[in-house]
Amino acid sequence: MIRPASLALAATLGLVAAVACSDIVSPTRTGLSYDWRLLLNYDSAGIPLQDTLSFHWPRSSLPVKVWVEDQNGLPDHIRTAIATWKAAFLYGEWDAKVVSDSAIADVIVRAIQPPPQSSSLRYALAEACIGATDVDTVANRHQLRVPVHAYVYVSIPGDPRLEECLNTVATHELGHTMGLLQHSRDSTDIMYAVPTADALTASDVATVVNAYHFKATMVPVRP
Amino acid sequence: MRFFTTTLALAALLPATLTAQARYSFGAGATGGTKLATDRIFQDIDITQRIAPTFTLGASLPVSARERAGIEVSLGFGKTRIKEEGFSAYDGVSYKTLGFTVGADGPMLKKLRYRFGAGLTKYLADKEGIFRQGGPLLLTLTLGSDYPVITSGKVGLVARLRYNYQRFSTDELRSIGFSRTQDVHQLGLGLAVEYTR
Repeated sequence: MIRPASLALAATLGLVAAVACSDIVSPTRTGLSYDWRLLLNYDSAGIPLQDTLSFHWPRSSLPVKVWVEDQNGLPDHIRTAIATWKAAFLYGEWDAKVVSDSAIADVIVRAIQPPPQSSSLRYALAEACIGATDVDTVANRHQLRVPVHAYVYVSIPGDPRLEECLNTVATHELGHTMGLLQHSRDSTDIMYAVPTADALTASDVATVVNAYHFKATMVPVRP
Repeated sequence: MRFFTTTLALAALLPATLTAQARYSFGAGATGGTKLATDRIFQDIDITQRIAPTFTLGASLPVSARERAGIEVSLGFGKTRIKEEGFSAYDGVSYKTLGFTVGADGPMLKKLRYRFGAGLTKYLADKEGIFRQGGPLLLTLTLGSDYPVITSGKVGLVARLRYNYQRFSTDELRSIGFSRTQDVHQLGLGLAVEYTR
């Protein structure tokens, strides 16, 4: 006689065998993102050429250490920007933290205009404030000089939209420091050259996720 | 059917008649498992599980001359590990698993005992990454065996093997377009101290 317990055990085994044949299916991610890679013109023995460079922080560098100048509430805006970008990722591909020692920083955010000698700046021109990030690819183009310098500064003091502007521009510039080296052509995206968005769009999210799963051609170097 | 009816009836009569034969256990071990999900962004990304320290509490009562029915509560301390072609693997979100299963056990071969059951497992995690909208509550089927290593009077030490089966997904994964669920197979090894009244 078959014992009821044996029968139940066999039923459990049978159920496991019957259902154990399913794999999760990931979504298709096409058409949402814009190009984030840096198009760089250079000369090779008098011949003008163009290079397409991509960068993301290596996993071993995380969390990226960000030093922020304590002006205009900038540290809080950068912390908000860090949380905003971090939330774009599913697998912890990027993370950052604000540090107090600029000597160990991977990214330095100043509340001043960029120095005039900077030659590789990406600007964000918002209404009440302006941002810029210096993407210095070093002479051989395959290295990104660390610390990366970003600037978020006030252009219209006392403007009622200043706080909103600083949030937007801080998020935009942090995006550049993460490796989004081009501007979006869509005015609703945070990475548009004249950003007005107060949150990441689906395109921003798709683009930064793509950037962190695309093989980087530049590595961070500290002189 | 008679088995389950008997189990329920005996459970109702528990305090009066069977507490003297109740068996309690506390176990500790480690649980490993297959991947929780796979994604594809340029290349495949596997979200796997690191070996998780796991603790269990159990209680059972005899329901026949040979079989016992009981409950088992488990607490695991897990962490995801992300593996992607061309990238170095790294640790992702940490989580705890709280499992509750109802099952039965009985003799299988000599001193070896089987256990099987079903229950629920809740993934408890910080609201980030794949758990941004919370951890899932999953149906869990479990099979296993216990082997008494030392028995001394009412106390014994048993070696434990547990297999769990779940179908994994999270609200966050579903919200961004993942469909179906991932079969997750887990294997746990451990030791448990048992006390039989």
